[in-house]
Amino acid sequence: MRRFRPTRVRLVASILVGSLAFAGVGYAASLGLASKQLHAWRQTLIKGTCNQTSTTADDTYVQQALPTSTAGGTATTLTISPVAAAQDYAFIRFNLSGCSLPTSAGADSAVLTVRVTTAGADTISLFPVTSSWTSSTLTWNGVSSLTVGSTATGTFSASTTGNKTVTVTADVDAAIKAGTLWGWELRATSGTAIVAIAAAENGTAANRPSMTLSYAK
Amino acid sequence: MKRLTRISGIALTAALVSVGVASAASLGLASGKLGAGSAAVSGCTSSSLTATRNVDNSGNVTKVNVLSVPQACAGQTLAITLGNSSNTSLGASSAVVGTCTGGCTATVTGFGTVSAANVTAYSLSLTQ
Repeated sequence: MRRFRPTRVRLVASILVGSLAFAGVGYAASLGLASKQLHAWRQTLIKGTCNQTSTTADDTYVQQALPTSTAGGTATTLTISPVAAAQDYAFIRFNLSGCSLPTSAGADSAVLTVRVTTAGADTISLFPVTSSWTSSTLTWNGVSSLTVGSTATGTFSASTTGNKTVTVTADVDAAIKAGTLWGWELRATSGTAIVAIAAAENGTAANRPSMTLSYAK
Repeated sequence: MKRLTRISGIALTAALVSVGVASAASLGLASGKLGAGSAAVSGCTSSSLTATRNVDNSGNVTKVNVLSVPQACAGQTLAITLGNSSNTSLGASSAVVGTCTGGCTATVTGFGTVSAANVTAYSLSLTQ
């Protein structure tokens, strides 16, 4: 039987074995020492922003009094009216394709900004739209075929002119996962005034709809 | 002298192993290499599956979905820790992977109030 010779090489080998045992035990234990089988992995997220402007916006308004009109698609302001038999609804969406977000990404925060150009004592509510539409073809009659959420994502008061913001994080997060953001239907849920907000075609760029978006992918 | 060196080597090895065991129970996100890449020990998958999270309108995480979990993982426990840029845990939860046909989407809820903006990484594990 050979005697164990405590050379420097063997001492280093002992330390190496101990170090490897340390690393292995440490990794496994993080999953629970009692685990019979395990698979562990880590996914790192990339954060970024992809703010939206009129360049990627599409908007229109539809008129109950003119149920086949598509004139709202080129208007510089979007009318919102709660007047019986003469209601107007506005629609706004953004094309997020330029953000190059995979469907596994998500919104950390998203805030829509619109500018009230004609004020009135109305509360304007935003309802999420989850089916396709385009401003060049959407009419009052066409709204009934859209999929519009029954719960408002947010509201703003149109009692004064100026910028109004609405947090739309959950809607945008869901839209990223669905692949397309179809935006919101804006309609008055209280009040009797006819109000207007600036459209993407508005002559003053700063008045046009915009949206800040922070994401993780 | 030789005996002393031999004993020292063995003692040092034992000490390193015991330190490993002792620290293992508290090993968390702060260990930078935890879960980097993938390491399977006869598990149901060796792939690093993709996780995605949903948020409420306040930007808080409501659930984490792990996509395309192999059917063979049904019955295993999926544990997820949400970490921030300092490798600190912001919330953790787990769920048992259900049965399904083909690739499953496993959903884990119950992370508490965690702002998605602060989450920079998911640490995930599947255990039986």
